[in-house]
Amino acid sequence: MIRLEGLSLRVGGFRLDAVSLEIPTGGYGLVIGPTGSGKTSLLEAIAGHVEIERGRIWIEGRDVTRLRPELRHIGFVYQAYHLFPHHTVRANIAYGLKAVPAERRRVEELAALLGIEPLLDRGVRGLSGGEQQRVALARALAPRPKILLLDEPFAAVDPALRRVLRHELRLLREREGVTTLHVTHDVEDALRLGDVVAVLGEGRIMQVGPPEEVFRYPNSPFVAHFLGSGTVLKGLVRRAGEATGHPPRFPARFECGALTLDVIAEREGEAHAVIRPEDLLVSRAPFPDYPRNRFVGRVVRLERQGPVTHIQLEVQGEALLASVTTATAETLALRPSEEVTVALKATAIHLL
Amino acid sequence: MLLPVRPSHLCSVPRDPRWFRLAGALLGALLILFIVGPLLRLLWEARPGALLAAAGDAEVRDSIALTVLCASAATALAVLLGVPVGYALARARFPGRGLVRGILDLPIVIPHPVAGIALLLFLGRHSPVGKGLAAIGLEIVSHVPGIVAAMLFVSAPLVVSGAREAFTSVDPKLERVARSLGDTAWQAFRRVTLPLSGRGILSGALLAWGRSVSEFGAIVILTYNPKVASILIYDRFTLYGLPAAVPAAGLLLLVALAVFGLLRLLEPTDRT
Repeated sequence: MIRLEGLSLRVGGFRLDAVSLEIPTGGYGLVIGPTGSGKTSLLEAIAGHVEIERGRIWIEGRDVTRLRPELRHIGFVYQAYHLFPHHTVRANIAYGLKAVPAERRRVEELAALLGIEPLLDRGVRGLSGGEQQRVALARALAPRPKILLLDEPFAAVDPALRRVLRHELRLLREREGVTTLHVTHDVEDALRLGDVVAVLGEGRIMQVGPPEEVFRYPNSPFVAHFLGSGTVLKGLVRRAGEATGHPPRFPARFECGALTLDVIAEREGEAHAVIRPEDLLVSRAPFPDYPRNRFVGRVVRLERQGPVTHIQLEVQGEALLASVTTATAETLALRPSEEVTVALKATAIHLL
Repeated sequence: MLLPVRPSHLCSVPRDPRWFRLAGALLGALLILFIVGPLLRLLWEARPGALLAAAGDAEVRDSIALTVLCASAATALAVLLGVPVGYALARARFPGRGLVRGILDLPIVIPHPVAGIALLLFLGRHSPVGKGLAAIGLEIVSHVPGIVAAMLFVSAPLVVSGAREAFTSVDPKLERVARSLGDTAWQAFRRVTLPLSGRGILSGALLAWGRSVSEFGAIVILTYNPKVASILIYDRFTLYGLPAAVPAAGLLLLVALAVFGLLRLLEPTDRT
């Protein structure tokens, strides 16, 4: 278990303010935030390498806030791996172990798991990015740490290898059962690895929760923007009907420039509306079963990304982003500046 | 018909023009000649017979031994006192850091006789420090410790800056990884930082040693007698003229080159 209670620190030009987070034993927590949001400093604070101003750090029920780094039993993997250049791969992995036979077997075991046995007696110079990453992981896990801290472990490898490594990491972690905290700016890491995702921005944690929930229901424009949850519109909510249910929600109109959307709202006044790209329906024919949020829009740009095609639209002066399967996009045969019908359900508009 | 493609068509990286490389080589060769020429001329002038005779001269032998010993002692002291400061300057951010760095570089810009006079005033028999040291039986001025003090003063900056550069080149994150793997601060320093910066510290120490062997200006003011080699050679030159100074000078040159070459060989070279 890792528990952070109101952790505040200042390093260099940025600061973290009252960061609280808990990852249960054996869990996988992800902190996601833009570059320069203090993610590495957060990990270094947990490991005891940087001073904190306020707050407490608990590891497996023990308050380690004032403990020296070597007594915290933490495995740390830096983004650039930081293998010891004057040692072989074997000596790197064995660095935190005592020179006894049982410990030597531990090196072999981890090397076998990660498929780096043939490298054991080589120097670390000349290893590829993926090989270095595996060695760094083995080195961190060798002394059986209580927690594992990963600082952007996939940032230095190409996307194809990233998928392989992500898969390996998940298997290895399940086998070792080590509580992990992983910081990243890669949204895909967060979706594929974490049990818990915390979004870090402007020096504090903006939202915590299971990955799907955070992606589906961002609690702030910052989170929505950063996670790429779709279009974020700023506007005004006006009540249009009676409130029902618990918590009470009412039909309303969301006005953003010339664009007015039918929405289900909890409160009136200024708000942000988040529209996920896959919730926008795009067609050449009108949608008869969508009496309300149905508009004529113009295609601005098409961007094909593998199986998904993103469509930049202009609807009543607002830029909206839609995504359809590439197969659908081909069937529609859309071209820039063509007119299309755009529709979306009132319930698909997430108000913040 | 297929025409053979000339390699120059494939190679698109522009090279420096021929005259540019030629001019560089020529200028560099001039400088090398300017350094090697006088040294070879000196050894030629000394002749093997005269060098052997100088080696047989007890006064010359003693002065060279004294020089080498004092230079080694001064270097050892500079390493002992200077490496920790070099580490602090590389790693820590503390108030007055720039000032500390400036002070430790100061001896480089001070003319050596000026350094000698300052040391004489500071460590002389009538100064509080000199009196204090004399009270515990340590005579500085006109004694061997005076030679070491003068050498230390002029050569310490080389050790400090060498160590500082070497430590700066070791990423602190490597130490942090070692700490997380169970090392105390000292263990991480000994197992990671020191092995990775050893070469840089060694070359700083080597430069300091060379600087100490070659020192004259500060020593001549602090401790004329017993004579280090540079003073003996100057002494013979002023008293008996050039022919008397040449064999001892040649011998000192050979000894210095031998030690310097030996230490250079000991340096690991594959770290770069």
